[in-house]
Amino acid sequence: MSAFANILAGGVFHAAVLFLVAAGLQLVFGVQKIVNLACGSFYALGAYFGITFIGYAHQFGMSEWLLLPALIISGLLLGFIGPPIERMLRTVYDRDESFQLLLTFALLLMFQDVFKFVWGANPRSLDSGYLIYGTIRAGDFSMPVYNLLVIAAAIAVAAGLGGFLKRTNYGRILRATAENRAMAEALGVDVYRIYSVVFTLGAVLGTTAGALVVPTAAASLDMAIEFVIEAFAVVVIGGLGSMRGALAGALIVGLIRGFSILLYPELEMLAIYLIVVAVLIFRPAGLFGRSLA
Amino acid sequence: MPVTRRRLLASAAAVGVVSASGGVFSPAIAQNKPLRVGILAPRSGIAAAPGLNGIRATQWAVERYNAQGGIGGRKVELVIEDESSPKDTIERFSKLVQQEKVDCVQGIISTGVGLALGPVVEESRALTIYWDGTTQDGVDEKIPNPRYLFRSTDNECEAVMSSLLTIKNWKGKFVTVAGINPDYSYGRNNMAAFVAILKRFNIDHRVVTEQWPKVGTMDLTSHVAALKAAKPDLIFSSLLFADLPVFMKQAHAAGLTEGTKLVFPAAGWQHTLMKKEFTPEGMLFGHNTLYFANPQASPLAKEFVAWYEQTHKDYPEWEADRAYFAIASYKAAVEKALAAKGGSWPSQDDIIDAMVGLSIESLGGKGAWRKDHIADQTFVQGLTTHNNKYDFVTLGTFESLYSTDLQKPPGANFWEWIKTAQFNV
Repeated sequence: MSAFANILAGGVFHAAVLFLVAAGLQLVFGVQKIVNLACGSFYALGAYFGITFIGYAHQFGMSEWLLLPALIISGLLLGFIGPPIERMLRTVYDRDESFQLLLTFALLLMFQDVFKFVWGANPRSLDSGYLIYGTIRAGDFSMPVYNLLVIAAAIAVAAGLGGFLKRTNYGRILRATAENRAMAEALGVDVYRIYSVVFTLGAVLGTTAGALVVPTAAASLDMAIEFVIEAFAVVVIGGLGSMRGALAGALIVGLIRGFSILLYPELEMLAIYLIVVAVLIFRPAGLFGRSLA
Repeated sequence: MPVTRRRLLASAAAVGVVSASGGVFSPAIAQNKPLRVGILAPRSGIAAAPGLNGIRATQWAVERYNAQGGIGGRKVELVIEDESSPKDTIERFSKLVQQEKVDCVQGIISTGVGLALGPVVEESRALTIYWDGTTQDGVDEKIPNPRYLFRSTDNECEAVMSSLLTIKNWKGKFVTVAGINPDYSYGRNNMAAFVAILKRFNIDHRVVTEQWPKVGTMDLTSHVAALKAAKPDLIFSSLLFADLPVFMKQAHAAGLTEGTKLVFPAAGWQHTLMKKEFTPEGMLFGHNTLYFANPQASPLAKEFVAWYEQTHKDYPEWEADRAYFAIASYKAAVEKALAAKGGSWPSQDDIIDAMVGLSIESLGGKGAWRKDHIADQTFVQGLTTHNNKYDFVTLGTFESLYSTDLQKPPGANFWEWIKTAQFNV
């Protein structure tokens, strides 16, 4: 039983981080109709910057207990990269999707070199702090409280995003723009401003996810590409552009991965992509996506 | 004497004749030119840190050689290129040999790159010395009886040593065994060697789970949970990239390291990242061919470690030794061949012949080249301690073994050799 609980906890933690990145991807696609391959770079940027930010914060005497809020702040601070990148993407809004993919993939590769230039080629990690909030133990079950806080943060983001999109005027305008850009423009909505806000929000979701994961792992040059592949599995399963789909897809990927590692480690990736293939065959729009037909 | 057109043409013709008779004059000309050594090492990605260790050790050695007149009287120039994917590395190797005209190529850490490059080395007929990356799989098929290629000790040496030390330290104290090893030939062979040696000595054991994370996986919480679920008495892991400290951190957080015997033959590659706060004492920890804090180290090794610490604010690991061993072997071989030829510059074949059987003092201890062009070197493994001045673990008690006790003899099959070998522990 405790083995099941440990696997569940590990899978949900992985899903929480995946959800944050995939949510950003979904938001940008839902409103801007751009498949942003650079979302993995935002995740990696958040991780690298989080390490630097915490390093400086410690020099200024920050208490270890403030690790989590400090990492969230570091992720939010990176929001400034959103508007200029969105401005660059405007050149391909009305062009073929392949141009959008090529441009965002170029961004992904450029970011990788920027990381190498700024932080070096070696993986970087936070020296301490991961266990500052303690560990929950019950028999053989154990889970660092930090992991639990990250899961809670992801749930809060999911609830907050849902509330923002459904219950606020700005959220309604976002959804209206996603539904019918021309109509929104005709009604006086500054569409480019909306795009800029949405893209920044998507970027911040990625950078915050990267910052939150770094105490448990390490920042490395390959993490952007590694993660973007998994994020796309989430999107395919959940349905492109659907926030509920991002949540469901992240949970499916996280849990399938966890249980296949327990039951048959060789199948870790195969199990995930079997589901991706099955979804593409039997429900091409994804579990929560809307069919284009 | 006035320079006339006729005299100028005559001089030019004379220069042409002299140049054309290269066979007569080339040794003297060659001896005046710098010796060019090409280096292929990773400078980015998950193997960047060991790549950098190797490059720095080579640069340190070359600076010393050049200050003392170079190798065989010729200054040494390094031409450094990246080791990345097999395809790209092969292209860079060809560039080093054909365009840069290097006299020797050294480097290579990745097993996959090493295997792919081997046949190209032989085809190019370019003396090449690998730092690392020699596993059992594929070597016999891809690089049988190499002439131009010299390879590192078998990667499985560290697994053999840690298996023997596991039996020595913990025989009868464990039954259930779990493995978490990188999912490529290195990790697979290390785990297989560990189990084979347990079987060889009739150690009662049961493998309860084997985890194979992809190299560079940074979220290992599910792997840790799976290991925990298997309740092993002992965990064997040849993780060695940046994922190793991540695993230790996550395993410690999950309470996996408490009361479990840990056997990590390749942990020394990340030694400075194995912080005391999450790395326990009493874990079997391999430093491979260089333990930076070895109190019995040679003056040369101590000087290198001090330089490394002062210059790079860091402590070197075994790739520094492998790189030093490569360049020091090359120097010794060139000078041995030079002496044998009475001072005239030796051919590449002379240098290759001089390498075989050569024994030198490397940073980690004695090293030598066998007739099958495989290195023999000194390995260090021991039990971790927190009793030191660093924020990472070092070795409390440790043992040094020469690879003649850990490596299959020339021509033997590794898995058959394990069944009958006389181990000296």
